[in-house]
Amino acid sequence: MASGTVNARIRPEASWVRVYVWQLPVRLAHWILVGCLVVLSFTGIYIHNPFIVAVSDRSWVMGTMRFIHVMSGFVLISALIWRFYWFFAGNRWARWDQFVPFTKERRSAMKNMMEYYGFLRWWPAPQVGHNPLAGAAYCAVFGLLIIEILTGLALFDNILGNRVLHSFIGWLTLLINLQYLRMIHFGIMFLFGAFLIHHVYSAILISKEERSGLMDSIFTGYKYISPARLSREGVGERVERH
Amino acid sequence: MSDVCLPEDKLSLKDSLTVRGINRRKFLKFCSTMVATLALPPKYVAQVATALSNVKRPILVWLEFSDCAGNSESMLRATSPSIAEMVLDLLSLEYHEVLMAGSGKYADAVLQRVMRENDGKYIAVVEGAIPLADGGVYCTIGGRTAIDIATQVCKGALATIAVGACAWDGGIVRANPNPTGGVGVEEAVPGIKVVNLGGCPHNPANTAAVLTHYLTFNEMPALDRYSRPLFAYGRVIHDQCERRAHYDAGRFVQEWGDEGHRRGWCLYKMGCKGPQATYNCPTVRWNDATSWPVKSGHGCISCASPRFWDTRSPFYNRIPDVAGFGVDVPVSEIGWALTGAVTAATLAHGIGQAIRTRFRPPQEATAETEADVSLTGSS
Repeated sequence: MASGTVNARIRPEASWVRVYVWQLPVRLAHWILVGCLVVLSFTGIYIHNPFIVAVSDRSWVMGTMRFIHVMSGFVLISALIWRFYWFFAGNRWARWDQFVPFTKERRSAMKNMMEYYGFLRWWPAPQVGHNPLAGAAYCAVFGLLIIEILTGLALFDNILGNRVLHSFIGWLTLLINLQYLRMIHFGIMFLFGAFLIHHVYSAILISKEERSGLMDSIFTGYKYISPARLSREGVGERVERH
Repeated sequence: MSDVCLPEDKLSLKDSLTVRGINRRKFLKFCSTMVATLALPPKYVAQVATALSNVKRPILVWLEFSDCAGNSESMLRATSPSIAEMVLDLLSLEYHEVLMAGSGKYADAVLQRVMRENDGKYIAVVEGAIPLADGGVYCTIGGRTAIDIATQVCKGALATIAVGACAWDGGIVRANPNPTGGVGVEEAVPGIKVVNLGGCPHNPANTAAVLTHYLTFNEMPALDRYSRPLFAYGRVIHDQCERRAHYDAGRFVQEWGDEGHRRGWCLYKMGCKGPQATYNCPTVRWNDATSWPVKSGHGCISCASPRFWDTRSPFYNRIPDVAGFGVDVPVSEIGWALTGAVTAATLAHGIGQAIRTRFRPPQEATAETEADVSLTGSS
């Protein structure tokens, strides 16, 4: 990081260790999900309410929008499957247990994080990976993504389904009427929008508070962590250092 | 319709048609229409024609319960050479309260006689829902409840055809809050063989096609999980719609009577339920294949879908309202409000954070350093 007065307040200490936290599959899955969600939301809003008035006899707006929507949907499914595989194959900060506060320590850290956000605590407790509150939020996002995928596949199956897809998802239309599947599929999109706003804000905020280079880390994979924090988390010498 | 006294009751179908002045050309035309409706290859026209020429006219009993008689109307609403006419000639319609000449106890005597003489050989057509609440008192004919009549007639029938949404799954009669406890035939009389022809009303072409299929092949056509024939209910309306090209192109009616509406553009934004409805409405059409709702400029209301009155309303919005948010609050409004609220909360937090950073003690000086977080190592 460049040294200078502007960055002084957010610069890591010289003694802090550069740790490879986010592996390439994690970062790629993250950015593919971001891209897909933006594209899916835009095309989805159009499909819900076609706001582009096409008058030309050569136009193919809805057809194109639906094609892009369906294709990015399948890209999103692939990225998510990849990420779920990395829950088990990835490093300790990519693992599935980062997203549910199973241990007493993580529950306590989650409580502290809530207190920090609620102005009941001056500083957040620095974390190497996800802080447990953020992890729980991402767990909810994964859940919403799964709902979107299931409802989306059911709607796709209604128009362009085949035997294999129908045997996989056909039960859903029997359980919930197509109309309500559409409503759920559309309504959840707003939750992603709301999440995006909060997510970007809290990423910038915590990046400044922790001085860990958190914002850079989703591009580079590296965070700056104090040696004390590393030893407290029991990372020790096993961590990949550069 | 045929009256019980007419001698032609005993005639074969071909002779009966001749008596009615229907020539061979008209008859073959009818057979072709039926084969097309059934989505069979053209080579079956000959088979259908042969079968229908030789078969004895099947005996039909038409029961009407809680409904608007719309399915009877639909059957009659056609001109010559009509499917309705053909169907009425195709069948020996022994009992139909609306159409038959007899009434009162004489009509009832006809029904009893038909059932006695043709036990297990007649086809029962049911129109209308069957109310079950309070012992079924909300629909009685000649002092007998609908469920009582339906049980007796349908159990003795070779097969039962439920025409219209009401007879299929209760239709509008069953719509929330359903005070009479109306249900469809299949549910009211369990254990009988039913072919459901949903829709509000049923399309007589499909009813005729089902009977033609039965007379030709001696079995009912392939049915879906709702016991509806696949030839009629197997495809999404959206995929067969003549306005589909406008949909893909992005040309939509924005409001009733606008330029797009006059030019026949897609009715998707007006709440057309074509994308989630299955029926052969666009190909078979109505009133002798003259038109169908979308062709006449109104969106599909998905009348052939299960419990359509409850599940497919509001008919003029694309997706239903969210429960608990009152009438006419669309999900998009709730969604944007939520997004706005989160944005406002985030901004407020940002302001709070900016104030906090001005006077909070340095991290090292507080008791809230890492040691305090009780993360004392998990290894």
